[in-house]
Amino acid sequence: LLLDKHADYIAAYGSKKDDYEYALSEYLRMSGIYWGLTVMDLMGQLHRMNKDEIIEFVRSCQHECGGISASLGHDPHLLYTLSAVQILTLYDSVSVLDIDRVVEYVKSLQQDDGSFTGDKWDTQAYGSSCLCGKLEEINLNKAVEFVLSCMNFDGGFGCRPGSESHAGQIYCCTGFLSITGNLHQVNADLLGWWLCERQLPSGGLNGRPEKLPDVCYSWWVLASLKIIGRIHWIDKSKLRTFILACQDEETGGFADRPGDMVDPFHTLFGVAGLSLLGDEQIKAVNPVLCMPEDVLQRIGLRPEIAS
Amino acid sequence: MAESEEEVDVLVQRVVKDINNAFKKNPNIDEIGLIPCPEARYNRSPIVLVENKLGMESWCVKFLLPFVHNKLLLYRQRKQWLDREALIDITCTLLLLNPDFTTAWNVRKELAQCGVLNPERDLYLGKLVLTKFPKSPETWIHRRWVLQQVLRQCRPRAAEQKEPGEVELGGAQGSPPNERLRRVLRDEMKVCAEAAGRYPSNYNAWSHRIWVLQNLAKGNLKILYDELSSMKLWVSTHVSDHSGFHYRQFLMKALVAELSRAADASCGPSQDLHRSHWPNGDGVGPAAAEESRTASVPELFGKELELCTDLIETYPGHETLWCHRRHVFFLWYHWRKEQSQDVGRQPSLLNHTDETLSGSLGASAGRNVQAMDVDLALEESKQTSYTQDSKRLKRGPLQLRPGLPSEHSFVTKILSGCRSPEQGRFAAAYRKWLDSVIVAADTRSGSVKIKANMNKRISKRKTKVETLLP
Repeated sequence: LLLDKHADYIAAYGSKKDDYEYALSEYLRMSGIYWGLTVMDLMGQLHRMNKDEIIEFVRSCQHECGGISASLGHDPHLLYTLSAVQILTLYDSVSVLDIDRVVEYVKSLQQDDGSFTGDKWDTQAYGSSCLCGKLEEINLNKAVEFVLSCMNFDGGFGCRPGSESHAGQIYCCTGFLSITGNLHQVNADLLGWWLCERQLPSGGLNGRPEKLPDVCYSWWVLASLKIIGRIHWIDKSKLRTFILACQDEETGGFADRPGDMVDPFHTLFGVAGLSLLGDEQIKAVNPVLCMPEDVLQRIGLRPEIAS
Repeated sequence: MAESEEEVDVLVQRVVKDINNAFKKNPNIDEIGLIPCPEARYNRSPIVLVENKLGMESWCVKFLLPFVHNKLLLYRQRKQWLDREALIDITCTLLLLNPDFTTAWNVRKELAQCGVLNPERDLYLGKLVLTKFPKSPETWIHRRWVLQQVLRQCRPRAAEQKEPGEVELGGAQGSPPNERLRRVLRDEMKVCAEAAGRYPSNYNAWSHRIWVLQNLAKGNLKILYDELSSMKLWVSTHVSDHSGFHYRQFLMKALVAELSRAADASCGPSQDLHRSHWPNGDGVGPAAAEESRTASVPELFGKELELCTDLIETYPGHETLWCHRRHVFFLWYHWRKEQSQDVGRQPSLLNHTDETLSGSLGASAGRNVQAMDVDLALEESKQTSYTQDSKRLKRGPLQLRPGLPSEHSFVTKILSGCRSPEQGRFAAAYRKWLDSVIVAADTRSGSVKIKANMNKRISKRKTKVETLLP
């Protein structure tokens, strides 16, 4: 495990980007920053990032409606509102935002059926509200109803009622049910079975049957298993081997699978996955919110984890 | 090749214009792509239009994208005004290069809402984008927004009266079939199919396809049947495509629900369940009803499992096919369970012209659910003669209907004959699944059974179990 190399990679990321690549990925900049900061914090290297600059950037991305955009001039969106709140929580600076407006924005996106516009990652809304400590402002019952309507025969969740089960979606839904105290509604054995069938002979995890393994699924699948209390159903050592093989020894960082190009997204989930597997060189990560446990302890947040 | 800012400006404006002109010149462009071309040729436009294909030479992209990107953001921040034509051209260029740039789609939403942009143009733009970026989530998301606008336009009265998603395609309650909606639906199916072909197991394309049926063709039996039959060849040639097979599972589930609903809606023993009585039919009379459309639920499942068997035997070692089997068998098993639990009600899918039949079904309906798997074959032999059609469509030789014993013998057969280790693995997993999930679900010990199987699996690997198993 080449933690120093990964820290160097993230610290330097973005400084070499040319105009074209920067413009291409700007639409998700806020999430990109969240990935970078979180993995640095997990590696104990958060101090290497430019705290003031980032906080100012986040603050200036809050719109009048309360929502936060991925970058300056972009439209606000639920996804980036969550990332923004997560970033500020890492820095213990959530107060730079107008929190009430954030909550109003999130509330305004809830639809009659309980889901939130912003499409598939609806459940992120709960992440935002929960971090702001205002979970009760949302229509929880309707939202729970909607999420449960996305549960499939195999115990998994899709993005809409009737959609195919997908590990990423499962992660969002189990996280949501955890935050709202509804984990008991999950069929843990059935879902656990589906999740552990994601493990391939290489040790890596995929997101759906017959797909290739991908390091980010080491997170989505593993965290889901942890949340529902079935993480021991995975072969941990084989998974660890796979994740480590996704490192790039020259550049630092993790790729989706061994030999591919690295990026901050997969770097975060590789490191977070290793943390869940018990690597002591990395800080403990919270499986529900994908943030360091000590940060959540600081704000007194303890989402339910089944045992 | 250092370019001054003015030069870049001029170049980019020209390129944006060239793209716009290309669309004006050829409204039938059906594909976009990048042409690998590291250097500009003197004074030649990087936009290349050949037949119906629009290409962009790669050298210009690194200038083009940042320029139009920043221009749009300046507009969004109210630092620079852009008129509607410019907005349309710029967002079009941007989205052809970077379709997940949500803000650009949002600008087009606003233009559509003002009435200056026909939403169907975005269906066309999206279709083009998907030829190069078949997964692009924001493209699919915007597409659904556009379709909701189209739905509202097509059925303004319906949208007020009914709940969203219940607009029907045609023939409902005497109103004339909606030609525009039909066309849109056909196009959507095509767009989804193309995108599915461009990227294996394209989750976004297939889940969009499901959304379209759920919202534009709710409960339309004809379409559900058509989709099921047209997808048969596709899945047979894409046996790893889990999303494609999931689509079939969705169709099966929807068909069963509709057939059961239609059957329940009819009352009395002399009702023939022809399609003219089905509220969501296309108004086609009984004479035109084809055999496939009036197939009974058991036949539907029988055919699907047969397809699954063929593919499993022909293409050993595909997890997708075994997952499909699980899903289909699960649907079948639970449908049968529900049927036999309807003790007090009229049996649904019966042609009551056969008197003895109703008697036998009445008897079986009262039987214990647990006995079902043992007696299944016998019971089903009685059912083969009851379809919704007249007797001339009655099947000849008996088809063994699926049940737990037949599934277990299928697994045994595969295991004894297979040479692929993966096939063996999947077959064994299927058998365990039958035991743990299907059977155990009938009893309270369901979850204990799953856990027990898991324990066996874990201890086999000799891994250290970190926590105590309950």
